Amino acid sequence: MTDDRQAVLEYAGICKTFPGAQRTVVALDQVSFHVRPGEFVSLVGPSGCGKTTLLRITDGLETADRGTVSLDGTALSGGSQDMAYVFQDINLLPWRSVSKNVELGLEGRRVPKAERRARAMEMLEMVGLAAVADDPPYTLSGGMQQRVGVARALAVRPKVLLMDEPFGQLDNFTREALQVEIAELWAKLGTTIVFVTHDVDEAIFLSDRIALFQPGPGRLTEIVEIDLPRPRSGYDIRAERRAIELHAHIVNQLGVGMGTPAAGAAR
Amino acid sequence: MVPEPAPTGSLVDPTLPPRVGVAQLLSARDAHGGQAVPARARLVTWLRAHLNLIARLLAIAVFLGVWQASGAFLNPLFVSTPANVVSALGSLIGNGQLPAAFLRSLVEMIGGLAVAAVLGVGIGLLMGRVRLAEKALDPIVAFGNATPSIALLPVMEVWFGIGMAARVAFITVICTWPLLVNTYAGVRAVRGRYTDVGAAFGFGPWRQTWKIYLPGTVPFIFVGIRIALAVGAVGMILGGQEIGQSGLGGLTADFGSYSETADLVATIVTTTALAILLFAAFRQLQAWRFPWIAATSAGRRGSAAKRGSIGRRGSR
Repeated sequence: MTDDRQAVLEYAGICKTFPGAQRTVVALDQVSFHVRPGEFVSLVGPSGCGKTTLLRITDGLETADRGTVSLDGTALSGGSQDMAYVFQDINLLPWRSVSKNVELGLEGRRVPKAERRARAMEMLEMVGLAAVADDPPYTLSGGMQQRVGVARALAVRPKVLLMDEPFGQLDNFTREALQVEIAELWAKLGTTIVFVTHDVDEAIFLSDRIALFQPGPGRLTEIVEIDLPRPRSGYDIRAERRAIELHAHIVNQLGVGMGTPAAGAAR
Repeated sequence: MVPEPAPTGSLVDPTLPPRVGVAQLLSARDAHGGQAVPARARLVTWLRAHLNLIARLLAIAVFLGVWQASGAFLNPLFVSTPANVVSALGSLIGNGQLPAAFLRSLVEMIGGLAVAAVLGVGIGLLMGRVRLAEKALDPIVAFGNATPSIALLPVMEVWFGIGMAARVAFITVICTWPLLVNTYAGVRAVRGRYTDVGAAFGFGPWRQTWKIYLPGTVPFIFVGIRIALAVGAVGMILGGQEIGQSGLGGLTADFGSYSETADLVATIVTTTALAILLFAAFRQLQAWRFPWIAATSAGRRGSAAKRGSIGRRGSR
């Protein structure tokens, strides 16, 4: 692929298998690519293609059998303080208030207490939730909870933000609103984002490049450049001629069955 | 079909043609009369609204009545009578015997439970978090948990002498197991979604234990405490009866051996009151300090039953 010199995140020969009683699942087979600084890259593919596993390996939640993940040229083992994670099922801790949830990553990084609170409030203001800072998270709607999830991740000022199908559990309207919000945050903050989704429209709307994954064994098959002008909000980008072409190409590449959850194994 | 209680009138417009349904027809006719709802109907409504309470009070009244009446033809040695129990309760409270025993038993119970909580939660957490500790302690815990704790009562006497220390130790031995086993199960159940959060945000093993595993395990620890309260109360009474006759257990043994049945029943009622008090205090603690337990389990139940519906707050 293109020159590796300006890669912030680099994957080299990542392999991962999950041994099982009946059969061994090859989740990732020789995955290599890189992410440029400030870039928005989506990992797209059907269930079982290993995209979430790759994201978990990136943050050290899973270890690769072979291959290396490098951040700024340094090989990582077990994640990095310069990355933050947004979970599909959000996972706010119910025993903590909203702001204490946002402070979580700052505790892990030993930020002093007063500064933690200030930074948490700053992040909550950014996602428009300063008013509920002291509420318990389970009183919030799904969309609000995931805004807190994003605030929690951004509070640590990560170089790379890892997002695992963050809007997968939200209804359509909330999802589209959050897609616009995350595009705006990304434009404003300049954070590099690696984004897992199986929603092709979502990936086209958000991404600079889309990495296509296929299952059985999980592998990277193509990287598609999304050469659409930004900002892409304020109108329906899905109706643009180029977007339709890209959509058709991606769906075609991923093959029949894309979008039907029955295809492939779990994970 | 049971007709609805008559509404106050404004709900049904008499100018409209009556809609189908016996209830509507009946209430429409009532409203059409244009008078105040008859007293008899109001009484029926009131009775229906308080049916459960009435049934409950009635059952208790019948129970006490039959008990009281049994005094006329049964030897009072067997069951005494409610009137005698009430007067026994009065005199035992008056002479300070019952309050002193109550307090003593309460202190022993809380002492035993506190030590058991430290041991049970501590060891359960250790086993859940440290693989080697899990492997090492697993057979001992399985063995200890299977041992009927009552059998250890003489051992406590041998170790701690006949006194308060042995009674507290006995309650501790009984209460530790449910706390330990539930904490251990809780730690294993927490592993996953919440611990991923800690790992993703840079928590080391120590921080994971205190900030994620321990709070995440609290619902399980609370299940353990509920069981410990129930079995601990048995230990509290048994210890009082067998180890030097003390507290409420000691009183029951005392009154039992002298066949003071009214005093005995009064003491038993007091024991029940103590158990209820402990459960109520514990429930208050949970509602006050850990509201998220009820709120989130209700939410989970709601989302499992009907996706997207609003979970009802935990009414049991």
